[in-house]
Amino acid sequence: MDTKSMNLLMRVGAAAAVLSLAACASPEKTPATAAVAVSHNAVENAVTAGAPELAPAEISAARDKMMRANQALAAKDYKTARELAVQAQADAKLAQSKANSAKATAAADALNEDLRVLRQEVDRANSDQQQ
Amino acid sequence: MKMNFLKAMVFAGAVALAGCSTVPTTTPTLDEARADFVAANNNPQVATYAQMEFKQAGEALDRANQAAAQRESLDTIDRLAYVAKQKIATAQEVAKAKAAEAEVANAGRERDRVQLEARTAEADRAKRDAAAAQAQAAAAQAQAQDAQAQAAAAQQQAAQQADRAARLEALLVELHAQKTERGMVVTIGDVLFATDRAELNANGMATVKKLAEIMTQNPDRTVMVEGFTDSTGSAAHNKDLSERRAASVAQALVGLGVPRERIGMRGYGEAFPVASNDTASNRQLNRRVEIVLSNAGAPIPPRAAQR
Repeated sequence: MDTKSMNLLMRVGAAAAVLSLAACASPEKTPATAAVAVSHNAVENAVTAGAPELAPAEISAARDKMMRANQALAAKDYKTARELAVQAQADAKLAQSKANSAKATAAADALNEDLRVLRQEVDRANSDQQQ
Repeated sequence: MKMNFLKAMVFAGAVALAGCSTVPTTTPTLDEARADFVAANNNPQVATYAQMEFKQAGEALDRANQAAAQRESLDTIDRLAYVAKQKIATAQEVAKAKAAEAEVANAGRERDRVQLEARTAEADRAKRDAAAAQAQAAAAQAQAQDAQAQAAAAQQQAAQQADRAARLEALLVELHAQKTERGMVVTIGDVLFATDRAELNANGMATVKKLAEIMTQNPDRTVMVEGFTDSTGSAAHNKDLSERRAASVAQALVGLGVPRERIGMRGYGEAFPVASNDTASNRQLNRRVEIVLSNAGAPIPPRAAQR
């Protein structure tokens, strides 16, 4: 095999590699600043909703991914930054909805308990009267 | 939503067949995401309260399935499956929160209802208690009034009795009644009768009227009317005259409204003289009618020996 044919083979190989990449995966080239900003917002909303107390695992996962997304952004690894931002956003939204549902469930439980006690009192008052 | 899932699966299958590889690949995370999706799809709360979130989760799962069908790197499939999984969990949590909020609203309304019920019951109870207290007070008042009336009646009765006793006393004094062991004795002398006759004259009638008044006012007393004569004339005549005079007095009492059963009557003739028959004035004393008024509620003892 001569150098010319070797060169051709390498070219074809490179073209094939480029084609295969273009066919099965689309590399990210644009900065992921917007995606990272959106996920940052989502994390802040979750914290406001009480996620650090009510969904600690989810919010710390979101924060960790946020941090790594920022790092990737700084390193101009936009693909990774975007992927991490999307995951951080999903984690943050789950943390926020978990916090909300925990609060709403607690409120409903407390009200139902109040109601139970109130009903008991009313029943007792009524049965006292009948004696 | 089920349709979406099915479509996604069919699409994933089609892509897998037409794509880079003929054998679709999967990861544990994708399997979990698929199972979570089925569970969320079966949760009626998700369908009611988190349609939008569930739709977005379905779309994320579609992307993960596509990546799997196209045999992209396990890392990429895992990453997409993870996002889908988190979004499915988010839909579940949103549904849970909204369902709890609905329960809160419901419980609030229910509490208001129970509180109202309690206050109504309390008010009813207070009303009943007040009514009972009022009834009790009224009963006590009625009782007090009864006692007062009873006392007044007793007082009145006592007053009446005293009044009656006083009147009786006065009448008996007027009639020159004498107290004996048989009762009060009122004597009607023969001057109150026509001579040798049994008819009472006006003065005799006045005396009998007073006696009738005493009888009316003292219904627990009876009288015994006893006639006597002097010893002049035959005993049979005297007995007859004494009986007729006693009967005349008794008849007069009946005529004045005294019941017959309260009047006893007897003629003794010349028996039981109150004086010797040797002078005219003494004989006049013996010609008499004695009216014995019983003591209250007691019978008149029979005339015993000569006094």
